Amino acid sequence: MEQKVLSIINEIRKAKNLAILEKLNVEDNLRNNLEFTSFDLAELTVKIEDEFDVDIFEDGLVNTIGEIYAKLG
Amino acid sequence: MAVFLINDKQVHSYEQLLAEINGSQSYYPLYKQPDLFLYFSNLIKALSSNVPLILLDADLNANEIGGVDESRMNVAETLPVKGEITIEEVIAAVQNSSSQITIFTSGTTGQPKKVVHNVQNLTRSVRQGEKYNGQIWAYAYNPTHMAGLQVFFQTFMNQNTLVNVFNKSRSEVYELIECQKVTHISATPTFYRLLLPFEKEYPLVQRVTLGGEKSDSKLYDNITKIFPSAKINNVYASTEAGSLFAAKGDAFQLPEKLRNKFKIVDDELLIHRSLLGQSDNFRFEDDYYHSGDLIEWVDEEKGLFRFKSRKNELINVGGYKVNPEETERAILNIAGVLQALVYGKANSILGNVLCAEVKIEEGSELTELGIRNILKEQLQDFKIPRRIKFVNTFSLTRTGKIKRS
Repeated sequence: MEQKVLSIINEIRKAKNLAILEKLNVEDNLRNNLEFTSFDLAELTVKIEDEFDVDIFEDGLVNTIGEIYAKLG
Repeated sequence: MAVFLINDKQVHSYEQLLAEINGSQSYYPLYKQPDLFLYFSNLIKALSSNVPLILLDADLNANEIGGVDESRMNVAETLPVKGEITIEEVIAAVQNSSSQITIFTSGTTGQPKKVVHNVQNLTRSVRQGEKYNGQIWAYAYNPTHMAGLQVFFQTFMNQNTLVNVFNKSRSEVYELIECQKVTHISATPTFYRLLLPFEKEYPLVQRVTLGGEKSDSKLYDNITKIFPSAKINNVYASTEAGSLFAAKGDAFQLPEKLRNKFKIVDDELLIHRSLLGQSDNFRFEDDYYHSGDLIEWVDEEKGLFRFKSRKNELINVGGYKVNPEETERAILNIAGVLQALVYGKANSILGNVLCAEVKIEEGSELTELGIRNILKEQLQDFKIPRRIKFVNTFSLTRTGKIKRS
């Protein structure tokens, strides 16, 4: 699951010409550390939903990678 | 003098603005400028000198807009000579300006529509007076769009301060609200959604305005937690007509004196042409314009109503209106693409996220990233699908049209 999340995040970063990440840390903040905008977060939800069938933002926003793992765990 | 604009840690005073206006004898009639201070200075220069102006998004590609002469872009023109004037005189001149301002809107049939407004259309809802003194506004809109212009005029005409928070991250927005002691925020529901979840109260904020998209009571509850002293209200402003309605709770009210300028036909809101800007693309029926907004009455006697949905197929992505046909056309122009379908998928952050299904030629090596990179050359970012699926068949409607659901 964590590998899949990493590859989705890298896919989004690649489209923004940002560096590819080797790994994610649970405390990584989506907006501050990964530089995701609202449009990037929307893309992330769609792609995670495609993969895991879970809308991670359904009941309020998640901020960190750890919170995503918790929703998918 | 008060602070006019705080933008990326730079503080611009009204004095500086005045110096810019008094100190230069030229302006740019067709201006593409990402720097907010230069952009606003140019706008005020044009308006106070009664000369026309075309406003372009800083990231707009030339092929996205028809009828714009690229060679004229960012070319200065001389202004009529006038003596030094005070900031009060500048504001009065802007208010009484006979300038025509051209803005662009997402069209229903392809290219953005050009709409020409007079300044009075754009400043219709500006309130002035002593009680508006000293306000500090978070500036959360694109400055070339209707909502951004509305907020600009409201603040400028009261010599208030603008704090640019457009496209800033959540932590930056909060930092600016706190450090700059922001009292007023006007933004799309998407902007407020990005401020969630509640972590801390910001009691200095007195008013929170939502516009642009549908919002929900859950969002209202959360906004109340973050900004406990703020009154919340809604605005309805369209590129075609500017600001029209005052909000009453979660409904809108047709203003008493304009009541005869509106009609409701088949639930659709029709607006009299006297309230609109000018555009070759407006179609009128007996002098009324079909807004495409479907409404329902809360109290017909009092003119109270709610917005239900849009009639046309524009997709609202985080407050931006996307015409799916425009994006489809751009995808179809890519070598190797056979067919394309662009649609909005409901999304908890943006309202809708733009998605596409694409059928490509056998043997074609197009990838999602490849298509998006090609589209980047031609379209603004919000018009580019965030998920592209490669398919062999599309689901068709009974009439043989591609289904857009």
